[in-house]
Amino acid sequence: MTEAPEAELVRAIAAGADDAPAAEAELCRRFAPRIRLYGLRHLRDQDRAADLVQAVLLALLQAARAGRIADPARVDRFMLGTSRNVAARMRETDARTAGDAALAAIAAPDEPLERIDTEALWRCLRALEERARRVLMLSFNDERSADEIATLLAISAVNVRVLRHRSIAALRRCLDAPKEVDA
Amino acid sequence: MTCANPIAGATLVDYWAGDLDEAETAAVDEHLFGCADCTASSARVAAVAQALRAEIPTVLLRAAVDQMRARGARIRENGFTPGDRREVDFAADADLLIHRLGGLDLTGAERVDLRITAESTGALVSDIEAVPFDRAEGAVFIACQRHYAALPHDTIMSLSIHAAGAPPRTATYTILHRFL
Repeated sequence: MTEAPEAELVRAIAAGADDAPAAEAELCRRFAPRIRLYGLRHLRDQDRAADLVQAVLLALLQAARAGRIADPARVDRFMLGTSRNVAARMRETDARTAGDAALAAIAAPDEPLERIDTEALWRCLRALEERARRVLMLSFNDERSADEIATLLAISAVNVRVLRHRSIAALRRCLDAPKEVDA
Repeated sequence: MTCANPIAGATLVDYWAGDLDEAETAAVDEHLFGCADCTASSARVAAVAQALRAEIPTVLLRAAVDQMRARGARIRENGFTPGDRREVDFAADADLLIHRLGGLDLTGAERVDLRITAESTGALVSDIEAVPFDRAEGAVFIACQRHYAALPHDTIMSLSIHAAGAPPRTATYTILHRFL
């Protein structure tokens, strides 16, 4: 079941056979991280992203059980569409999800986003060159666009983007490295 | 299971920085929903982006300052009273400066707004409504960060203190930064 194509999982759920519960769990396991990231990007909040995961997975399970997913091969499209709709509704109403407790248990959110230790982040930020650090903080901490940063630092927006990408990659390498190596 | 056409790392960074237009963002969303590999790559960028976002707000409370110090942050604290005009150094071995904008009577305060402008040009640097404030200590704590070197260094920090049944009071501090 862990290797089955998503369309097969959707069909197994619709058929309601013995392997349906495993198919439901597997489908939720695969899509939860995608919905969570979508929520984080578009709702800008971890708690609301977790709510989105649950609401969208509930909708998926209900639709799959009822055989309402028209094209099981494009279940990813169904998920994106549902995520967009639910996120839009959450933005409007600030509503939290509620409903079927049994379904909610299956649609339990996955592991939250990797938590980066503050101390490690600072250690790695210090290892970057000054300009790289500024670009990162202005981008993500001050929420300034590449164009704004370009003006502030008197470099081109293309350079800001390149520097930002390189700096994120460098931060990742530093954060992933064993502590002894770069201590 | 390997993605034949993975999203470029640079595009993922732009995506998380909010620097893609609507159509580009939608295209990334579509790819991610259909692709576990790129979702994993995206999560790695998102984790760093979120950590940077969560890092340090411009205005914080004493408890947050203490917490950062306990975690090993090298913090220099400078105290100011209304009307002060002073130079401060951001030393090379400091991670963070805390400007303690004190000397305030915040007993009846309902809201404090912060407005930062450049002394020389008058340009608006930052305008934050309803900042956290420390009522008992009568102070607002500004977390001055190294990347602020990109912003004007000669700052006028103006606090508007709003209390019920009274016109807002203003306290102004002029802080001239030197980044060493």
